[in-house]
Amino acid sequence: MPKLIVKPSSLKELWKITPALPYKRKYLSGGTDLVNISNAGADDSDCWLDVSALTELWGIKETKSSIFIGAAVKISEIENSVTARRWLPALIAAIPHFASPSLRNMATLGGNAANASPCADGVCALISERASVWLELKGKKRKIPLTGLFLGPKKTALKKDELITGFEIPKWKHTAAYQKLGPRSYFGISKAAVAISADIKAGVAAKVSIALASVGPVIVYAAKTSAFLSGKSLVADVISEAAELVKTEVSPITDTRSEADYRREMCGVLVSRALQGLT
Amino acid sequence: MKKNNILEVKNGVFEITLTINGEKLVLSTKNGESLLDALRRWGLKGVKKGCDTGDCGSCTVIVNGTPVLGCLVPAVAAHDGDIITIEGLGTVQKPHPIQKAFVEAGAVQCGFCIPGMILSSKHLLDRMPNPSEAEIRKALDGNLCRCTGYVKQIEAVKMAAKRLR
Repeated sequence: MPKLIVKPSSLKELWKITPALPYKRKYLSGGTDLVNISNAGADDSDCWLDVSALTELWGIKETKSSIFIGAAVKISEIENSVTARRWLPALIAAIPHFASPSLRNMATLGGNAANASPCADGVCALISERASVWLELKGKKRKIPLTGLFLGPKKTALKKDELITGFEIPKWKHTAAYQKLGPRSYFGISKAAVAISADIKAGVAAKVSIALASVGPVIVYAAKTSAFLSGKSLVADVISEAAELVKTEVSPITDTRSEADYRREMCGVLVSRALQGLT
Repeated sequence: MKKNNILEVKNGVFEITLTINGEKLVLSTKNGESLLDALRRWGLKGVKKGCDTGDCGSCTVIVNGTPVLGCLVPAVAAHDGDIITIEGLGTVQKPHPIQKAFVEAGAVQCGFCIPGMILSSKHLLDRMPNPSEAEIRKALDGNLCRCTGYVKQIEAVKMAAKRLR
């Protein structure tokens, strides 16, 4: 851990104190990734900025057209939120697969996104929910599609000192499924995972969005498969075709957790299972 | 030098205020020290150090009402926090009903995971007096035990729930 950990109490204070801090600095949220990385000797920061007291990053807010989740909201708070349960079925379906209950009491979506892991369950679900991310730098705000935040494993489009303040998810009527394949049913890093959000009326999928984790350098939005399914009746033939198509959209690698070919094959299986669960 | 109400006594040593098991204390912590290491250094040896990577759950403590993993919390970040460790639940002479149930159900073998398991169970039973088996399993997910088969511990939580209702 660095020599200095500072905890500003507002964004205004954050932007005021930042210039005087050591140049090598990082934001600390739940700590579940950063503290581990640091303990493993892989973080050379001289300073951490603890964002947990920034009230601007708190809360789940509902507007007429969207839901806003603050970047510092704990995953367990989302799990228990009536608003999230009503409007964000993919995220809610993903949460039981997200680490363990005590880690969910610490971890945040802001940290999950900033860590830019290709296996991030929270990000995978949010991308299928069609989320955007709000960023702020020295008081200047910008909003980008969440898919645009990730450049590669552990690489984001965040500028120096730019902070994730929250996530905006459009309100749209949909059901969802989250399928994760890992070494155990819960509490493990996935070999492959899929989040599907779909607006289904009388067996016909009006709008579908599919995101996959652990099968590419970033969370993969399966644009072709999503477009293919939109407007179709989710019958067996269509599901089989979607399961084949999704395999062309992923680029898994072989690593300690699984093998590339197996992962690709499993993408088809997981998409098929998730779609069957929705019908 | 004062940084966000945390007093830096001398280079790298900080004084923080914590409520531990109901007692308000001013304690010193060093740069880079985790809450787990600090609690053990302060004498609370019931907080166990297993993996130190947030995987095993043996360092579970309740901070401001929710179970968290002490190994992943920088001690200075716990400043002003309200902490409950296993020492705050009961004693050998006067065990907490959950502790008693764990002993009676035979849920304890080597005992290393038990403080974490009991604190996770307490958090569950405080919110949910009559949990289903699935809810108990879900609450203890993340508290790993290398001795047992996660059977007696589930029975212990059921037994404790019944007694606490």
